[in-house]
Amino acid sequence: MTRELTTRVSGAVSGRSPRFAIRGLIVGAVIGAALLAVRVATSGWDAAGLPDRVRDFATLSISVVIESLPFVFLGIVISIVVRFWVPDRWLVRVMPRTPWLRRVTISLVGVLLPVCECGNVPLARGFIMKGFSVPEAMTFLLAAPILNPVTIITTYQAFGWNDGILIGRIAGGFVIANLVGWLFSRHPQPELLLTPRFEVACRLEAAEPDAALAPGVKLRRAVGAFAEETSTMLPALIVGSAIAGAIQVGLSRDLLVTLGSNPIWSVLALMVLAFVIAICSNVDAFFILAFGSTFLPGGIVAFLTFGAMVDVKMVTLMRTTFTTGALVRLVAVVALASLALGFGVNLLA
Amino acid sequence: MLSLVGVVAIVWLAVTGQLGLYIHPRYVVFTVVMAVLAGVIVIAAFALLPSAPGDDHDHGHDHDHDHGPGSGRREWFWTAVTALIVVGAVAALLVLPPATLTTATVDQRDLNASAALTDQGTVEAPPADLVGSDTDSFTVKDWASLLRQGAGEDYFAGKTATLTGFVTPDPADPDNVFYVARFVVTCCAVDAQPVGVPVYLPGWANQYAVDSWVTATGGFGANPSVSSAQAIVFEPTRIVPIDQPAEPYVY
Repeated sequence: MTRELTTRVSGAVSGRSPRFAIRGLIVGAVIGAALLAVRVATSGWDAAGLPDRVRDFATLSISVVIESLPFVFLGIVISIVVRFWVPDRWLVRVMPRTPWLRRVTISLVGVLLPVCECGNVPLARGFIMKGFSVPEAMTFLLAAPILNPVTIITTYQAFGWNDGILIGRIAGGFVIANLVGWLFSRHPQPELLLTPRFEVACRLEAAEPDAALAPGVKLRRAVGAFAEETSTMLPALIVGSAIAGAIQVGLSRDLLVTLGSNPIWSVLALMVLAFVIAICSNVDAFFILAFGSTFLPGGIVAFLTFGAMVDVKMVTLMRTTFTTGALVRLVAVVALASLALGFGVNLLA
Repeated sequence: MLSLVGVVAIVWLAVTGQLGLYIHPRYVVFTVVMAVLAGVIVIAAFALLPSAPGDDHDHGHDHDHDHGPGSGRREWFWTAVTALIVVGAVAALLVLPPATLTTATVDQRDLNASAALTDQGTVEAPPADLVGSDTDSFTVKDWASLLRQGAGEDYFAGKTATLTGFVTPDPADPDNVFYVARFVVTCCAVDAQPVGVPVYLPGWANQYAVDSWVTATGGFGANPSVSSAQAIVFEPTRIVPIDQPAEPYVY
């Protein structure tokens, strides 16, 4: 934290001499080149010596990282644009005053930002830094992966209007996100839901808003913020992906799929599947469609709603921002609500 | 630092055409664009910031703000954890050669699981009526769908096919039957579903290694195996070992 503080101060007081900038550029380029050299040098290796399971664990984890990384980068870029270049006044004017209306509005923001759920975490952090309340950011985080055009279109392509799956997903996602937002808004001190580190960053931002900086300083600060955010998010992403990969290798999918076709267990089993598979909300409809005929619609809706909001990777990413206690409560509420939603759809369909 | 690891890994995979081992081709352009953009910003950060960003001190944990006893140890612990993550990421993303999934994952995921194939088509684009269409262009996935749908022996009588896939044993009768299999990927390798066509060939394991790639030509017939659950099997007239194709997954 102290370092960030000095960064801010020195950045604001003195610009950097071109000599330093060039040296930094060279350092960056050399590290990049060294990494590339490692990659090229080892590309001829044969991993056949490793057991299949270990290789598949690596392949699965890497695929989660590579699939999520661009979305995380995009989320961070958008978050920084919002933080640095959207004037605070503008946001205040656009948003309604009433708390629940604000939450309803923010749960629809995802329509404008069709980022995958992993990209929403940095964006939600940006919103909190921008002065949005913690429950509002949670509402956004949970609603955006479902209430966005890409998800809605892919879900429609996969299921059409069959069995209320599309409606169940959209309505369920919206209601659950707002329910969680409302529950957490009852918390007497919402800032306690944030990790101390992130809370300090927010206080710094509130004291000296990024959007008010002079143009030259602002660009430098924005680049710095990108580096800071990536170094917060990436370790979490990598750990989350490794856990997801390990579960995939260790857990037999047959079991979940078998349970998924059982009327009583289907909702629960598909939620567990959604939690461990950590697949993007944009495409999860196609994934579950492949199993479609064996599963009951309620289970599918629960999969599509719960999985979009919470999974192993998301929990690890959210841990960068929220305390463990807050996350446990959040996951519990979302899980119970999804369960109820799933059983409800099964009853109606 | 970690961003650079990821960026270099992605760009290298893209340049060598191996990104398809991990993600669906429709994401390739987006992934590369974002990776390059992130790479540029990270390098710019090196140039513009007083100290190198993203070094080992900057990680997503809770700092102890009261510098009481034990905070030094805690700091040390988190530094070690972060170092471990960096080493792990470098090892996985930059040192390990890119690979496809293997039979170990086929075992975990039940080949041709739960109608995974039958209804791949969507409501807007209903599944092509495979039964009526030209079989020349059929992939392993198409044939597996037909078998799964129970197209019946009449349909398969006299049909010939050319199948390309990797070899994986039939758990019910590993001595006589193997599958020519592919993984179907909807988003990335995590959601890969194995599909395959059973091949009856006693003693196949002496000729073809598990996980090696083959192209098989032949027709279909009733399954002579007693223990295998499959009613119809592929009867190869010729099996040629091949290198792993550039696009190992089907979509």
